[in-house]
Amino acid sequence: MDAFGMGLVAAMGALATVAGASEDIDSDIGSQSNPNSQVQLAAQVGNPHRIYNKAIAGEPPSNALWCTTAAIMAYVLIEGYHMPLLFAVAAGASLAALFDGVMSTSAYFGRSASQARFNQWIYLDIVRYTTPSIMAHVWITSFCICLIAVIQVYILTPHHPFPIPVIGLVWGLTVGAIGSSVGDIHYGGEREFQWRLFGQGLNTMLSGQIVRKAEAGLRNSIDNAWFCAKFGGPCTGLAFGLTVFLDNWRTTVFDPVTQAGAAIAMGLFFVIVMNLYNHYCEVSARRKYGPYPGYKGDIPA
Amino acid sequence: MTFDINTIIYILEIIVGGLLVGVGVHFVPVGGAPAAMAQATGIGTGTVQLAAGSGLTGLLSAGLMMSVTDNLWAILATGAVGAMIMIDATMLAGSWIYAYAVGAPFASAKVNYDPITGFSQPPYVAPGTVGQGIPTVCFVSGTIGAAMGGLGGAMIYYPLVQINGNPAMSAIFAIGIFFVDAVLASWNIQGTIEGFHDPKFKKWPNAFKSCLVATAILAVVAVLITPIGGI
Repeated sequence: MDAFGMGLVAAMGALATVAGASEDIDSDIGSQSNPNSQVQLAAQVGNPHRIYNKAIAGEPPSNALWCTTAAIMAYVLIEGYHMPLLFAVAAGASLAALFDGVMSTSAYFGRSASQARFNQWIYLDIVRYTTPSIMAHVWITSFCICLIAVIQVYILTPHHPFPIPVIGLVWGLTVGAIGSSVGDIHYGGEREFQWRLFGQGLNTMLSGQIVRKAEAGLRNSIDNAWFCAKFGGPCTGLAFGLTVFLDNWRTTVFDPVTQAGAAIAMGLFFVIVMNLYNHYCEVSARRKYGPYPGYKGDIPA
Repeated sequence: MTFDINTIIYILEIIVGGLLVGVGVHFVPVGGAPAAMAQATGIGTGTVQLAAGSGLTGLLSAGLMMSVTDNLWAILATGAVGAMIMIDATMLAGSWIYAYAVGAPFASAKVNYDPITGFSQPPYVAPGTVGQGIPTVCFVSGTIGAAMGGLGGAMIYYPLVQINGNPAMSAIFAIGIFFVDAVLASWNIQGTIEGFHDPKFKKWPNAFKSCLVATAILAVVAVLITPIGGI
């Protein structure tokens, strides 16, 4: 273990935290992934809205696409033109953001136009000021992940044997999977349905009845980003940061050649701690909230 | 290339890895889009995406380990541990949101009592939903599933690197085989499952058989093609 390596792992953890948070906020602004089903449904059940509606693909494949695009350009600039690492990564992230801008715009136009029969409009002002926000968040995500890949391949010892586009692909898939599993709950389970009773999941009868009014005026996707950046985004960032940090920390602190057993045992220790922590969350939620008042079954709480 | 006993062992390793992925997906508690609206128990995303996210994180760890050691057990174990860390961090952060943002107690709608903790479930299932959150049994089941996925990914990757010596190409092949098996298993459970306590889990032999056939074909192709492409 050396101090430089530990510093790099800490930097990777920090970059991953930022990447996770920006990935989730990007998906919240665009209503991508799971909560998109409700945004899509809203117009069909008589609730046309001003929410940005892009579902280019599931979050993991689309983020894998952005990160791989950024990493490929960075790889070409680094290997082919011997550009500085940071410049190459920034240029790659810019390309990924441009790709995302094109696809987000076409996704919004396509999805909204296909719902014309349900009285859903295409709002050009929404396109003008929401698309750059989405692109900016994609830039941050792909920049951070590309930089993590560059650190793993070129700087951190032992160097990772995969080239940076493959690492970008894997981390992109992972950050998308985490954003889709963690941050989406805050947007889909809480922000989209704020007028139902607090403390329960979405009743199936309420599907498509999303909130369309904001704190002031009509709600748009920037309002959703404001809300989700308070908890859903940071939680996603923490989850991805923990994944990247803990996974690399154990192989940096313990030499993978001579202390492989200790590195694996440390990983197992983290896993056990997280299992216990989840159990604590379950017990504390059950104790604080209690059973639902309308329950009429014969199984005691 | 020469077709010898080692080639057969490599093919068998890839097949076993694929089967581990296929069966491991059945353990991962995925609720799909409804879970993201706290409308169903489990993690709020798709089966394949989550299995791939965790299994491929394990693949990254295994790849790193394999670049410095030839110890098969260390490579397989580190792949499994990497995948477990990813899925546990994901489920834990998801639990924070269920508990502290949505404010819903965790409950499974598939069993009356949690098989591990013994907690009663139906009184905590919100009206109009089929459970919410990630109860202990789902969390443990997800950890087991991720371990199998990471182990499977590493087991597919290891022989491929032995054959062609090219980590990048082997990783891409491993990712491809991983996705095939995860998708087959996902069809078997029709997209959502709560874990090993879910009645759908009993259908795993179907996925086992289909993954066996699919991975056997892919293993032969992978073993034959990679040396040519690796030049």
